[in-house]
Amino acid sequence: MNKEPKGMTLIVKTAARLTAGVILMYGIYIISHGHVSPGGGFAGGVIITLAFVLVILAFGKEFSMRKVSASIASSFESFGAIMFLAIALAGFLGGYFFLNFFINKGVPFTLFSAGIIPLCNIAISLKVGAGLFAVFAVLVMLKFTNGKDKG
Amino acid sequence: MGVYILCLVLFSVGLYCMLRKRNIIKIIIGLIIAEYAVNLFIVLLGYRMEGRAPIYAANQEILNMVDPLPQALVLTSIVIGLAITALVVGIAMRIYERYGTFDITRINKLKG
Repeated sequence: MNKEPKGMTLIVKTAARLTAGVILMYGIYIISHGHVSPGGGFAGGVIITLAFVLVILAFGKEFSMRKVSASIASSFESFGAIMFLAIALAGFLGGYFFLNFFINKGVPFTLFSAGIIPLCNIAISLKVGAGLFAVFAVLVMLKFTNGKDKG
Repeated sequence: MGVYILCLVLFSVGLYCMLRKRNIIKIIIGLIIAEYAVNLFIVLLGYRMEGRAPIYAANQEILNMVDPLPQALVLTSIVIGLAITALVVGIAMRIYERYGTFDITRINKLKG
């Protein structure tokens, strides 16, 4: 008999507890290897959002919204945009916009190469992930008021 | 040539859902399917004979790749489709809050 009315059953909650961290790590892997293998900022940001969406779906919205609120998502999104602008302007001090300001160019096809592309991937993933999570959080937190008596 | 005909079939499936269904959620699903068909068609336009994925790998000799430009355009298009879906679902939820039903034949009060 299900004692608590919130969230899903015990099996779903246990599986979500085990796999949410793995999904988060997989998203970070896709982001950080964006210049070596397919993926990059946008796909990795979506996968990171899915980890949080899994927690919301499995544990109910009252419990999950106390951990990660919508205002944290908004500040992360703004930080991603400012980081992208800062990367562009930091190159401008050397020559032109988006100049590659790293000293050693690195070996191709390794992790620490390809100039400013990994930093841009991180900024894009922050913005995309936080934006999608904010959309989902607003749709979850919508409260239905009975509006049939209007008009 | 056959793959383009199949893209047209997928688009017509989405169009049928948009025209003939009565539930708003099913109309939204038809819109999403039609959008997928258009994105798939644009990606398939860039196919070259004996081509492979346009990604450089470490010690491999790549002779010919498919065209990567339609894939970059379709990425933006997918993001736009996502934003349209979020907006339309929000409108559908507001309609349900006002009328109490998803049936479009009952949503006929023009005076707000």
